[in-house]
Amino acid sequence: MIDKNEITLVTNKYNELLPLGDRIKKLVEGSPIKNGILYVITKHTTTGITVNERLECLEDDILSYFEKEIPENGFYYHARFLDSYGAMAGNPTGHLKAMLCGSHCIFPVTDGELSLGSAQEIYLAEFDGPQERTVSITIMGEE
Amino acid sequence: MVIDTHVHPGFLEELEISDEQLKYAQNMMGLHKTHRIRLEHWEKACRCAEIDKLFLLPLDLTTTTGGYLGTNEQVAEAVAINPQRFIGFASVDPAREDALEVLKKAFVELKLCGLKLHPSKQKFYPDDTKMDKIYELCIEYNKPIIFHSGVSMEPDTLTKYAHPLRFEEVAARFPKLRFCLAHFGWPWVREVCMLMLKYRNVYTDTAFLYFDNPKEFYAQSFGVDIGPYWIERSLRHQVMFGSDEPRLEQIRMIKAIREMNLRESTKEMILGGNALDFLKGGREHD
Repeated sequence: MIDKNEITLVTNKYNELLPLGDRIKKLVEGSPIKNGILYVITKHTTTGITVNERLECLEDDILSYFEKEIPENGFYYHARFLDSYGAMAGNPTGHLKAMLCGSHCIFPVTDGELSLGSAQEIYLAEFDGPQERTVSITIMGEE
Repeated sequence: MVIDTHVHPGFLEELEISDEQLKYAQNMMGLHKTHRIRLEHWEKACRCAEIDKLFLLPLDLTTTTGGYLGTNEQVAEAVAINPQRFIGFASVDPAREDALEVLKKAFVELKLCGLKLHPSKQKFYPDDTKMDKIYELCIEYNKPIIFHSGVSMEPDTLTKYAHPLRFEEVAARFPKLRFCLAHFGWPWVREVCMLMLKYRNVYTDTAFLYFDNPKEFYAQSFGVDIGPYWIERSLRHQVMFGSDEPRLEQIRMIKAIREMNLRESTKEMILGGNALDFLKGGREHD
């Protein structure tokens, strides 16, 4: 059985880590699937999905790491007019940070609950906000 | 007070734009991948960019393509939803037979604060004497005009209509008419500087980015294409911050302005003070 869901939200900042764990847990609890696998996949190319410990200091360090590796004032090819958009490409850092971050995570669902480790939080990583974002939540398994 | 003087309302979800109107806006503006924008998004973007107010600039294209990029009524509605955030402008297709009535209604009944015109999209020359009645009405109600000027990347637009030199006669014949040559008239930035130097009723905005990133493009435009001190010494009362949202993006545009090598007092003028003067008619500066 496959249970497909989406979470849509408007992010708050240019770059930020938004915890999704509570919302995902509720979806799992409401799902008819009791044992299986959960896939969390972003539908965007300037956001990522990552898992880490939910601490303010770590959130800050993670964002600082991305900023240091991919600085806003770097030289990027993706800074030009795109006919297909009718607009400027202005978000090369968002794309590159998203690539480093990764687009998805996978967790087991056991006896109707999300099997997160005690320190684990699932984050939507915004790298070109604020924007409306959608994350796909798919649960595959048995009732 | 920080004001973005160049924002397009045609995609705002709260205005209940129909699917047809959305598709029209995408086609007319060439913004093929832009979808409905929620007010919540603009609120958060303004907070991130530390912008207090937005000029909403609709466009009336009834005689050329039979539609609107936001109507005057929709703009007035947006202002009613959030009067602290929005400053509404009107638009009128100059070729409409009822253009003066539409404009008068926008100023008197809808309380809109100025007029947006797009010569390339609406297909008129700004120095055509057929436009005089519209300019006279704006003077009568003390309302400024924001003209698109310079190149337009929108489909079906010819740049000849919006060359900055087509505005000199307007500035000369209507010295009491305040108007903004949006997008700095790019690529004719020197010509726009000439007009602002010669005619103090001419303003411009920073809503232009056609190559590179905002910081690089402004460095070229304000440091190479024109003299690096021209704005600071001679034109600082006539340049307004504009982002061209949603074509360009407020956060990166305003960051580049804030990082420019200008006095803080000049940045304050560009970021908001000049827009307030533009709306009401500020004091004259020598």
